[in-house]
Amino acid sequence: MIDEQIYRRFNHTIAACFVVYFLFPSEILGLQRSYFIILFWLLVVAIEIARLTKGIKILGMRDYEKDRIASFVWFASGSCLLLGFYEIGFFPQSLVIATIIMAAYTDPVIGEATKKWGDKNGIICGLVCSFAIYHIIVGVLFYSIIGSIAAVIAERPKIKWFDDDLAMQIIPMVILFALHWYDLGPTLVEDGMIIMEGI
Amino acid sequence: MSYTKFYILTLYLVLIICSALFIMKEHYNIAILLILGNMLPGYALANSLLRENEN
Repeated sequence: MIDEQIYRRFNHTIAACFVVYFLFPSEILGLQRSYFIILFWLLVVAIEIARLTKGIKILGMRDYEKDRIASFVWFASGSCLLLGFYEIGFFPQSLVIATIIMAAYTDPVIGEATKKWGDKNGIICGLVCSFAIYHIIVGVLFYSIIGSIAAVIAERPKIKWFDDDLAMQIIPMVILFALHWYDLGPTLVEDGMIIMEGI
Repeated sequence: MSYTKFYILTLYLVLIICSALFIMKEHYNIAILLILGNMLPGYALANSLLRENEN
């Protein structure tokens, strides 16, 4: 049998590829690319409804996800929200890219580090991982520090109807956006637009 | 199981294509993050698949 734990981790980290959206042309098959966010989200929700109602077994699901919304739906919902708010003109692109990649990597890193080295070291590893990702992409120390702290705090509470996969995207993004919007933080590199044109 | 294998292979392909696209557009920082972040779980999963094939 495939190691389900590793399979789950890989499914989590591969979600960082959502950022390829920013390389898409502004129109695909005559439709604005933003419509594809909604289409993708509906597809994910449809799969989840089928899983919950028809009892379809999907490899890698945790036992407690049998009768509640699975983490892939929470993650996809968070990413779609971030991309949607970017398209509306709210969230800066660099923050959205960094937050999606950060959420895809930091949650598994915290999980693995906590399992191997304990709770405190799990938090430290999560902070280092999220800080590094924010700094590599956003390039502003202020946002990297605030974003990483917000992400690790958002990961902590285990709430049934507000999964950490969604919280780790929404909470840091809203905080960073508010700081940027009200000019409480430094200016973003290139005003937050790091990908100017698609393919 | 064959569906799962096909799905996993698709994920590897998606990763390779996405990374290549970011390299092509000279967004090396994003490409490197995609490759490095998926390398460890990707390698571990490939090992797991190979072990399963041996059995």
